[in-house]
Amino acid sequence: VAMAGLARRLLCRGFCVPARPPSTRQLREADEAAPVFQYAGKAARRKDRVFVWGFSYSGALGIPSFVKPDAGWKKPRRIQPTPYRLETEDKISSAACGYGFTLLASNTRDITKVWGMGLNKDSQLGFQRSRRDQTKGYEYVLEPSPIPLPLEKPQQTRVLQVSCGRAHSLVLTDSEGVFTMGNNSYGQCGRKVVEDEIYSGSHLIHQLKEFDSRVVQVVCGQDHSLFRTKKGSVYACGWGADGQTGLGHYNITSVPTKLNGDIAGVNIIQVSSYGDCCLAVSDEGDVFGWGNSEYLQLASVTETTQVNVPRHLPFKIGKVKEAACGGTGNIVLTEEGNVFVWGYGILGKGPNLTETAEPEMIPPSLFGWSDFSPDTRVAHVRCGLSQFAALTNRGELFVWGKNLRGCLGTGRMEDQYFPWRVTVPGEVVDVACGVDHMVSMVRSFT
Amino acid sequence: LNAAPERAPRQQIRFLPSPAPGGGGAVELVAASVPVLADHPLVRGPRFRKLKIGAGHRLDVKASGVFVLGIGHGNKLLTDLYNCHLTKVYTVGGLFGKATDDFSDTGNLIEKTTFDHITREKLERILAVIQGTNQKALLMYSNIDMKTQEAYELAVKGLIRPMGKSPPIITAIRCLQFALPEFQLEIHCLHETQQYLRKVVHEIGLELKSSAVCTQVRRTRDGVFTVDDALPRTQWNLQNVQEAIRNCQLKVETELEKTLA
Repeated sequence: VAMAGLARRLLCRGFCVPARPPSTRQLREADEAAPVFQYAGKAARRKDRVFVWGFSYSGALGIPSFVKPDAGWKKPRRIQPTPYRLETEDKISSAACGYGFTLLASNTRDITKVWGMGLNKDSQLGFQRSRRDQTKGYEYVLEPSPIPLPLEKPQQTRVLQVSCGRAHSLVLTDSEGVFTMGNNSYGQCGRKVVEDEIYSGSHLIHQLKEFDSRVVQVVCGQDHSLFRTKKGSVYACGWGADGQTGLGHYNITSVPTKLNGDIAGVNIIQVSSYGDCCLAVSDEGDVFGWGNSEYLQLASVTETTQVNVPRHLPFKIGKVKEAACGGTGNIVLTEEGNVFVWGYGILGKGPNLTETAEPEMIPPSLFGWSDFSPDTRVAHVRCGLSQFAALTNRGELFVWGKNLRGCLGTGRMEDQYFPWRVTVPGEVVDVACGVDHMVSMVRSFT
Repeated sequence: LNAAPERAPRQQIRFLPSPAPGGGGAVELVAASVPVLADHPLVRGPRFRKLKIGAGHRLDVKASGVFVLGIGHGNKLLTDLYNCHLTKVYTVGGLFGKATDDFSDTGNLIEKTTFDHITREKLERILAVIQGTNQKALLMYSNIDMKTQEAYELAVKGLIRPMGKSPPIITAIRCLQFALPEFQLEIHCLHETQQYLRKVVHEIGLELKSSAVCTQVRRTRDGVFTVDDALPRTQWNLQNVQEAIRNCQLKVETELEKTLA
């Protein structure tokens, strides 16, 4: 027996007993004597978090250490390829990504309800007073900074939704109408165009109240704005050279005007736009489109490349629940949970399908549907400029499209030709897609 | 096996001397077919002295279930079946509230935790996430270029599988029974070991802010072989084995053709 001298002497003398594997009785006694730890108490709730990923040098991700490292070992991170947690004090209920900037809004009754980060060269994030020079404002905001809104009752009004375009942003409140800020060279902020106006460092935030009923959704296109009211009518203002204002002409509109055409009298339940094309969904499941059609987005009804009046798109795909418009491609979600894409670009059906005028369905097996989980279906669809995102009812996020500066969040820099699952540590509740970055609202699992 | 009727001994043509049909002492050579003496059972001895038996995918000492064995020439099919990379189905039983060092209920206790906050809904959410991340791993380790059209077609049909070495991947997981503190899962996996499944149970416990140990691992399907085709230890005799081989032969052949073609 190979033992050290002392151990051997103790054993031979009978002072110690060699260890035997614990018997069942000993195991049970140890089991009962062990203390019980509690990791989740009665007040354990699922936490709400925000994850961001994509191009960070514009400040749109809201993490200053990516742009200006605050510790010696940190290096500037140009692209965040996978979801990164953004710490926020309040629960963020709505987020929107513009062209290099982001807006986050919370549903609270506190004084600060909206935070913005990213590019601020046209005051699309309001006036951010610079600490070095009190008269000037910041051109790049690297951290989520509160946006001061001129509310009449700041402790009662709640912000319902935010939306961002190329250089302007809209904030929708429940009782005080819509606030617009940013570039107004085409009237997209809903006020009269002032020649040679300097937008950088401007304090002006315009308020829009005159609509036929309460505004329930605001959408920003690249240089135009769309407002949907409770009665189901749509108003538009801004740049119209592609007909994206849908008012029957190709000029600039600086006052929100009601749209007619095929949607006159129709109860519209959702509007969407991001580039120069717009889509609207009615309560009966019909899809209407107007705006740019250079990429075959509206080629099913017309050969012209600009449509300035809303036209009904006669697709036989079933009742449509939600639609989203990107720069060159469009996506709709039907009541059965099927996803249809059309337009130009990486549409999500492999590298061979680059353009189509008629909607093509993406097979549900790519979104996690299988014989073991037949209830998995897509719940929401979102669009960025050249990428698509789909949220399933299990809280999974699938993205596909052009991977511009890592905006897909897959961890790779290559384009993705079919839906790919993004690994997010939580159940994804909502996602906002921008040009080169994305923001998602996530609830933790337990 | 040796008692079964043997095949007939080989015959050989020999020219034997035999007396001529006419009289007289002349000897003629007549061709006759006689059995070869070397084939006689008394010369040759019993036909089968040893049997070569090969094992399929490994099964732990603490686990139970379907275990594929190849006999004799069937061993060649074993390597082919391994290269098919078919999924295996396990029924895994777990217990909340304990954590041990080897992740099973017979190990040394490390920690005890509360588990009243766990609901079936939370467990299903965690299982959905596990399935999703493993789905991604499936696509990544299959070594197919994601940019091709055929990758898209295979992904739609769900036929993308790693055809070489890869870490353990779970293709599907779902909860069969849930009765605190016990629960039962059905796991479909590739390239796994039973200890990895026990580790998965432990990690599920950690994700739910508690702890879990694995009480039972049972393999219910290994490629094409299910529990219905399997013979329990009490039925290991010649007739049953031969019948089982006959029943499975067709299935194995079709599967091999389909996958390796």
